[in-house]
Amino acid sequence: MDCDAFRDDMLDLLYGEAAPAVARRLEEHQAGCPVCRDELASFRRLRRDLASWRTPPDLGRPPRPLYSARWYLAMAAGLVLLVGGGLALRGSELRYEHGGMAFRLGQAPEAAAFSAALSAQEERHRREMDALRATVAAAARSDEETLRKVHQMIADSEARQATLVTTGLTRLEERTEARRQYDLAQVGAGLSYLDGKAGLQAARTTELMGHVLQASQKR
Amino acid sequence: MTSASKITRPMVPSDEELVERFQNGESSAFDTLVGRWERKVQGAIYRLVGPGEDVRDLSQETLLKAYRGLGTFKKEARFSSWLYQIALNVCRDRMRRGRGKTYVSFDELADTGEAGSDVGPSALELIEARDLSRQVAAAVASLPQEQREVVVLKEYQGLTFLEIAEALDVPLSTVKTRLYRGLGQLRQQLTSQGIRGGAPVPAPTS
Repeated sequence: MDCDAFRDDMLDLLYGEAAPAVARRLEEHQAGCPVCRDELASFRRLRRDLASWRTPPDLGRPPRPLYSARWYLAMAAGLVLLVGGGLALRGSELRYEHGGMAFRLGQAPEAAAFSAALSAQEERHRREMDALRATVAAAARSDEETLRKVHQMIADSEARQATLVTTGLTRLEERTEARRQYDLAQVGAGLSYLDGKAGLQAARTTELMGHVLQASQKR
Repeated sequence: MTSASKITRPMVPSDEELVERFQNGESSAFDTLVGRWERKVQGAIYRLVGPGEDVRDLSQETLLKAYRGLGTFKKEARFSSWLYQIALNVCRDRMRRGRGKTYVSFDELADTGEAGSDVGPSALELIEARDLSRQVAAAVASLPQEQREVVVLKEYQGLTFLEIAEALDVPLSTVKTRLYRGLGQLRQQLTSQGIRGGAPVPAPTS
């Protein structure tokens, strides 16, 4: 074995990838060749120096991107919370666009009719309460009459609340679905944008395999 | 209760099994792959582009691209090689766009740490160790990109030569040539900076 051949296989020996027969040949050669022996020894020292460069412990995990199933679950949960919360924070919305989440406080156009209905209900309640107070204050009725009116009002109120809840749930369902469709489209568009070269990647992988097969045959 | 009621089977699926599961619709398999590889990928990116905020962005971009591409991934290649290939491409893109910028931090690292002459021995040792780390970082950063990629994948990521050939899409012989040249240049640079280990026994006569 000459020094050129040693050099060709030395890296295998340096990184522990030499087949046993090759390793034996290399060791025999360097036993009698100080130049090659020193070359290998200096690379071994170099590797010890290189090992001193460590990644910082605070490198940390990357923020989890859009790839995970958990993320989609979190997204769905967030949407439910959003729309549910919408009953309290009317018109607020959370949306995904341009690779980020955006939260907007305010009156969404599609919620206007709904909130108008709510305001009307409130107004009606107030009027009825006022009427009741006036009745009681006037003391023109018997307690039984007052009690009957109160019961009537409670029954009315319950009926209205039931309607309100039904309406709310229907809207919630509709909005959740609409928002889900919208967000899925946004996510899809965002992903396509981020990976404009998916096709190229696939082609490269295929091409790569050709090279790998060639390379392994050469060996 | 019979003792044979539970037959233990291999609990740790291979990367390739996880890829297959993902391609069959089990999206959580990707989470497992990510858990297995993201820190390694991050380490590679850190060493390829240098320290800084970019490392997180680039890792995320890499994993996102992997997620998008895994459905059509051909299982003949190793998943790890394929993932590193994506990371390398992401780093190359970033460095093309911000050429020179990412290396500044390495240069800054290399310039510091000359003030340790009158401190105690143990502190001096610490500084020396830190300096060596910085000098190594700067030396690796100064390599031509092709050599740096091979050095990082081999020396720091521990890939086999075949895996590197897969990830870089080049023949094995090219991988070895680049590594040989890269190591030679690192040795020369560290020796010129007085790092003891890198010097060949017969001292260079430059």
